[in-house]
Amino acid sequence: MIIRVRFHGRGGQGAKTASRILGTSCFIEGLNVQDSPVYGAERRGAPVTAFTRISDEQILERGYVFDPDLIVVMDPTLLDSPAARVTDGIRKKGVIFLNSPSVTHITKQNIASDFRLVNFDLTNAAMEMLGKPIISSASAAAAARLIGMVKESSLEQAIETELEEIGLSEETIEKNVLLGRKVFSSLEPVELMTEESSRELKIAPLELILEGNGLEDITAAGNSSVSRTGSWRIFKPVVDYEKCTACTVCYAYCPESALTLRQDGKPVIDYDNCKGCLICYRECPPKAITLEREVVAF
Amino acid sequence: MTSTRSMLMTGNLAAAWGARLGRADYIPAYPITPQTEIIETIAKWVRTGEIDAKLVQMESEHSMLTAAGAASLAGARVFTATSSQGLLYALEMLYNIAGWRAPMVLVNVARALAAPITLEPDHNDILAARDSGFLQFHAETCQEVLDLILLAYRVAEDSSVLLPAIVNLDGFYLSFTREKVDLPSEEDAAAFLPDYKPVNPFSASNPVSKGATVLNGALYSYFKYHMHASSLRARDVFEKASAEFERMFGRSYSPVETFMADDAEIVLVISNSFSTIGKQAVKRLRNRGIQAGLIKLRMLRPFPSSLVARYLSGRRGVAVFDQNISLGFGGIIYSEVLTSLYHRRNRPQLILPVIGGLGGKQITIEEMERIFEATKNELGSESPEPLFLMRSEELERTMNLVKTAKEVHS
Repeated sequence: MIIRVRFHGRGGQGAKTASRILGTSCFIEGLNVQDSPVYGAERRGAPVTAFTRISDEQILERGYVFDPDLIVVMDPTLLDSPAARVTDGIRKKGVIFLNSPSVTHITKQNIASDFRLVNFDLTNAAMEMLGKPIISSASAAAAARLIGMVKESSLEQAIETELEEIGLSEETIEKNVLLGRKVFSSLEPVELMTEESSRELKIAPLELILEGNGLEDITAAGNSSVSRTGSWRIFKPVVDYEKCTACTVCYAYCPESALTLRQDGKPVIDYDNCKGCLICYRECPPKAITLEREVVAF
Repeated sequence: MTSTRSMLMTGNLAAAWGARLGRADYIPAYPITPQTEIIETIAKWVRTGEIDAKLVQMESEHSMLTAAGAASLAGARVFTATSSQGLLYALEMLYNIAGWRAPMVLVNVARALAAPITLEPDHNDILAARDSGFLQFHAETCQEVLDLILLAYRVAEDSSVLLPAIVNLDGFYLSFTREKVDLPSEEDAAAFLPDYKPVNPFSASNPVSKGATVLNGALYSYFKYHMHASSLRARDVFEKASAEFERMFGRSYSPVETFMADDAEIVLVISNSFSTIGKQAVKRLRNRGIQAGLIKLRMLRPFPSSLVARYLSGRRGVAVFDQNISLGFGGIIYSEVLTSLYHRRNRPQLILPVIGGLGGKQITIEEMERIFEATKNELGSESPEPLFLMRSEELERTMNLVKTAKEVHS
């Protein structure tokens, strides 16, 4: 028996920690476990993938999980990111868990295999419990409950162990335990089909790799203009033009040049590229910028 | 062929002439023995106006190579030189420059690596750059230093290669050794080596991304495979260029030079300045009726595997002289020669590993002869004993020095 879980989140959401909490909780249950993350240069909001493998035998696998039994989608906007490839390789009758109040997002996806869908609004639960949209414990709790091999007490112990490891305060850890307990008790285990899937292997011939002059180079002077970083947001800054005094402080602070000024000196936010860092919200002297939860991908 | 003049010059002066006749535009520099004379010479020429180039002294070899690679991409023909610790300090930039596909030429004046500290040569410095993507050409004579620099620019800048190149010459044995060098005229050198035409050059008003971040294994592999293929292509490009060089200047350069090797039973594989002594040993052995021969590796990257296999297949015995040591294994070139031959049905009975000349340890003609003798003696052996060259008198003197040092200390 081996169960492969793949977490997809965004930098800062806690995907890596989620994979570790799940790993530790299964380890406490006496199972063989392997967990690992893969991510690029540290960047809040960028796609992060993490894996947990759980087995009652020695795990002779490593690295990327190509064919997960359970996919935990921590941010539904990732479903629309071609780079994240969230649903790739899902096993037949595999389970996709979606952090979302509804499951409408997934219907956009054209996935051949028949999968099962489970959803829960982890972010909302985290906001209520922690006041922050960090869902490492919540995601781990969801996965732990769905695979049905983890006792609630083991999950709690794993949350404590992993959050202590990253230096969180006792109070924050306690809140995370409560959050984990809430998510755990709100879901039911699912039966995971873990039949071996067969993948066809085609090796690219070297001639094809070297096609052309074999001097391939990327010389474009930056491609950030075509990457819509607006989908990284969890919160959206919104300007209240009545309160705005056109002081331009937000304009000066925006690290991404995602703010421009209107004729009257008041800011216009470029939502295609605003990453939701919320520096403008924090710096605005008259508190004319408020926050809205970002729920829909675009 | 127009006017050629001959001069006595050191290997370092020949290297400076390589930069001069190659019409280098930009020379970032940082001093280190035994390379410094190259830069001093070029600096003098810049001051007197004999060459039209910009020479800049940097604060380290790392900065020097960074500037060199960037200037090459901007469209300048770049020359620079270093040695030993300097090369290692710049090592991470060598990988970058190769990845940028910047066809600059770097001269390394070989000097053994610390510790212990010395100024004399072996090839652990240059071979540390073996896997960087830089093409490598190794010189035996001062003439070769000059000629290989011109050839290196031709190959590096070829539109099917676009990789940087290193020309290696041994410290002291070439760098400070004067011998006759035929100097091509500026016109002939320019006819052989036309102006550098950069691909996608960048400037302040035309930014271009080079060596972009990939953060993706498949993409990274894709570029590395392309660099590998480009490096392999450099061998053909070098052979074509050297054929043209021979027509123009009368000097012939194959990636592998053979010396009395046609009917040789025992062949020595060697590179760089000690090849000369090896040749003399072969001549003496021939005079005694021993069928000895030698092949000299002139091109180390790309490694000329098929030529090595062609010249060594069917021999009874081969000795590989490594003037370097991969501690815990042995000679570096040894394994490359072995790899080139393993699948040949008529591979030699024996390939003897020889380590010699570390830190510039002198090599006598007799030591070179002993290599052939040892190879013959080991024929048929299933586990030949590697030969570590050190003469008894050298050991005796060494022990005395060690003893003295200990006495002074206590």
